[in-house]
Amino acid sequence: MELLRVVSARLAGIILVLFGTSLLIFGIARIIPGDPARIALGPEASQEQVQMLRERLHLDEPFGAQYIEFLKDLSMGDLGTSLYTQRPVVQDISTALPATFELVFAAGLLVLLLGIPMGVLSAHWRDRAGDHVIRLVALLGVVTPSFVWAVLLMLTFAYFTEILPAAGRLSQSVSPAPLVTGMYTLDAAIAGRWDILKDALLHLILPAVALAMSGIGQIARLTRASVAEIYQATYIDMARAYGFAPRRIAMKYALRPALIPTLTVFGLDFANMLGGAFLIEQVFGWPGLARYGVQAILHKDLNAIVGVVLVISAFFLIVNAIVDMAAAWINPRIRLSGPAV
Amino acid sequence: MNDLEYARSEVRRHIGNQWEEIVKAGFRLGLAGALLAMLTAVASAEKVLRIEDIPIGELDPAKAADVADSILMFNVYDTLVLANQGKSGVGPLLAKSWKVDGSDFTFTLRDDVIFHTGNPLTSDDVVYSFQRFVALGQGLSHLLRGHVKSVTAVDEHTVKFSLEKPYAPFLTSLTRLPVIDSKSAKANTKSGTFGDNGDYAQAYLTAHDLGTGAYRIVSHNPQEATEFARNDKYFLAFPDGAPDRVTLRYGLDAATIRTLLARGELDISSQWLAPEIMSSLAKEPGMKLVAETSLGNYSIKLNTQRAPLDDVHCRRAIADAIDYQALLSLAKLTNDISSGTPANGPIPAGVLGADSDLPYPKKDMDKARKELKQCAHDPAASKIVISWISEIPVEEKYALLMQANFQELGFKTEVVRMPWAFYTQQTATPGSTPHIGQLFSVPTLPDPDALLYNTYHSSVRGTYASSQWLVDSEVDNLLDAGRATFDEAEREKIYRKLDARLVELQPNIFGYNTKTVRVVRDGIHITPLEEKGKAYSQAVVNLMFRNITIK
Repeated sequence: MELLRVVSARLAGIILVLFGTSLLIFGIARIIPGDPARIALGPEASQEQVQMLRERLHLDEPFGAQYIEFLKDLSMGDLGTSLYTQRPVVQDISTALPATFELVFAAGLLVLLLGIPMGVLSAHWRDRAGDHVIRLVALLGVVTPSFVWAVLLMLTFAYFTEILPAAGRLSQSVSPAPLVTGMYTLDAAIAGRWDILKDALLHLILPAVALAMSGIGQIARLTRASVAEIYQATYIDMARAYGFAPRRIAMKYALRPALIPTLTVFGLDFANMLGGAFLIEQVFGWPGLARYGVQAILHKDLNAIVGVVLVISAFFLIVNAIVDMAAAWINPRIRLSGPAV
Repeated sequence: MNDLEYARSEVRRHIGNQWEEIVKAGFRLGLAGALLAMLTAVASAEKVLRIEDIPIGELDPAKAADVADSILMFNVYDTLVLANQGKSGVGPLLAKSWKVDGSDFTFTLRDDVIFHTGNPLTSDDVVYSFQRFVALGQGLSHLLRGHVKSVTAVDEHTVKFSLEKPYAPFLTSLTRLPVIDSKSAKANTKSGTFGDNGDYAQAYLTAHDLGTGAYRIVSHNPQEATEFARNDKYFLAFPDGAPDRVTLRYGLDAATIRTLLARGELDISSQWLAPEIMSSLAKEPGMKLVAETSLGNYSIKLNTQRAPLDDVHCRRAIADAIDYQALLSLAKLTNDISSGTPANGPIPAGVLGADSDLPYPKKDMDKARKELKQCAHDPAASKIVISWISEIPVEEKYALLMQANFQELGFKTEVVRMPWAFYTQQTATPGSTPHIGQLFSVPTLPDPDALLYNTYHSSVRGTYASSQWLVDSEVDNLLDAGRATFDEAEREKIYRKLDARLVELQPNIFGYNTKTVRVVRDGIHITPLEEKGKAYSQAVVNLMFRNITIK
């Protein structure tokens, strides 16, 4: 019952925030310079054509009326039609979102699988050679912009050595497995098509690594700092005095409490990657949501802007809620001090 | 055997079985790989063409406007007439002939044309396509909207267009009216705002192809890629080596394009690569630059409603101060290929009305200072805002060049970077339009009207194309007369007069005439662009896949 109450409260909060976000972005999208109808139709379209489109989009109506119209459509799952692609925004998002999810999940996995062990090892080898090497790598990951990683990786592994594919989600000769989730790797695995899975994974490596580099560095540094601090705690001294193995001390007594700040930052990073993957998607020709969102803004595609922002916001809120609950699960002090809302 | 030994033997047996399985699986995988390699070898006998452009690829032909949309349209759909190869004007395509009687045009259709759906082409399809094109009001529908009184299907293969009044660009405008399969469109119509026509099959045609073109759609994602396959039932012959399959990819980054070209995974680049990247790629082995005369131009637009450029002498002064050689040198890609050629007026060479006798402008500071003396404004007290579009980096170089040139005359200047969307909004009123704007224009039709009317007629002020805010009755009259005159010799005289009048008024600085340049891999032959006298006189038509061959 307690869990249900916490989840319900969190869900209500998410809906409230999404409502506020929709109002805000609906307003901001209309402040961005440029007449969306004119941009969509081009300079040669007559004023009459532009006016027709403005009326179709309800752009001549007051802001309140436009917003109510938007909410009515939204309640039926309709985000309108994109002026940029001429397709329903829901259809565009449902095509682009799985591609970004696949990329972000892969990058998130790399962040966890590489960042946390690097941080633990670095703390374990504090001030020794291994620590210095890991700290340098982590620092490079944090300070180097993701698009630089993208270009460097592409040059190294696709241009000079041709080990990995340069762009896209699949080779041109390979068709995706039957659509289930829209994530090509997962769909290939579901269909048991290992050839497609291999091709999709090969295409995923470079963009996922480029996207993950900053997160790996950040998580490694944070984990190192937290674990190092915990290593100073008296209960660690006590564990050492009892003669526990160093690995047991590191994994069981130091890492678990150190994971709380790491998880919180990881949650924020993970959600940020969804919207921030634009440059990576651009460099690797990855047809994802971030690239779609930026194109929508450049073309002042009102419906698409609102749709993309809402989806990214919802994802951000959901990930945050999951991370908060995970932190509460890991740390009894949070769990026992009250609901994680 | 004690428990421990038993357990060890079980583990060994289990691992042993697993190894056996692994070896078998490896064998199966190897066999599958060999089969796959054989299949790939067979598949590679197909001629595959890979090209790229900027997103999105709009598949609905009635909405086609940009380059990618037009590539789709000209390959998947056909029009009644098509721009001629090697000469101006239009020739037959779906229409095998036509008669002109005053403002009535009667077309006789070919009787051997089959849509990709299997339905034969009839005059009803032409009528439906026209009505849909105009009703949707998107893409380049303005070319025909308001000019046609009626379209009727006289018989199964005869269709008649009656014009509201004489409209000279009518025939060339038909090169942008793609004909769709009306039966299939009607069968795939959803409810919508067009009465009995519902949504005019918009939802369907955004994702499906109902054309007769030389290539049909296999798959289409407007932001990622479109796959085409050759239409073997096409009514015209394909040359040897024409592609069997084509992939058009959208939105690749410059670094990615470079990598894909080097790896042999891309054959033709878009025209949007930065000049320095094109120059660099041209030096790589196995690549060449191919130029297309675009019949367009790069022009520097002067806001004729804002001081000091509201005075024609100030406009002429800054036009004389520009270093045209430097402008052109920025467009140069290699010793042989440049994306610009000198311009001497608003009508580029090759377009009806272009006057080769007009002098080519050059930097002449003495002349500029003489003009400036006649200008009512003091340059020291006048600030000129020079804008450049942030999405087009080369414009910044031009803006800085202008700044240096204008300062030689004593003008105060400010260079302002504007995102495209912001620029389009700023040009909606004369007060917010910057003094100087820059625009690369390519006419949508091989006709001077397409380049000039929307730029200079006073009735269409307030768009980024007409940001000069020019008001001149003589210009308006000449533009109207050019539209209403069918006789080509007479039209030529009108446009020559217009050419001279616009040079005199100097609402623009005529930077240079543009060429569209693409990076092409060796082994790819774009016949209209690489063989003399075979170029079509219309942008993008030269990229019809059926005219490209692969060695």
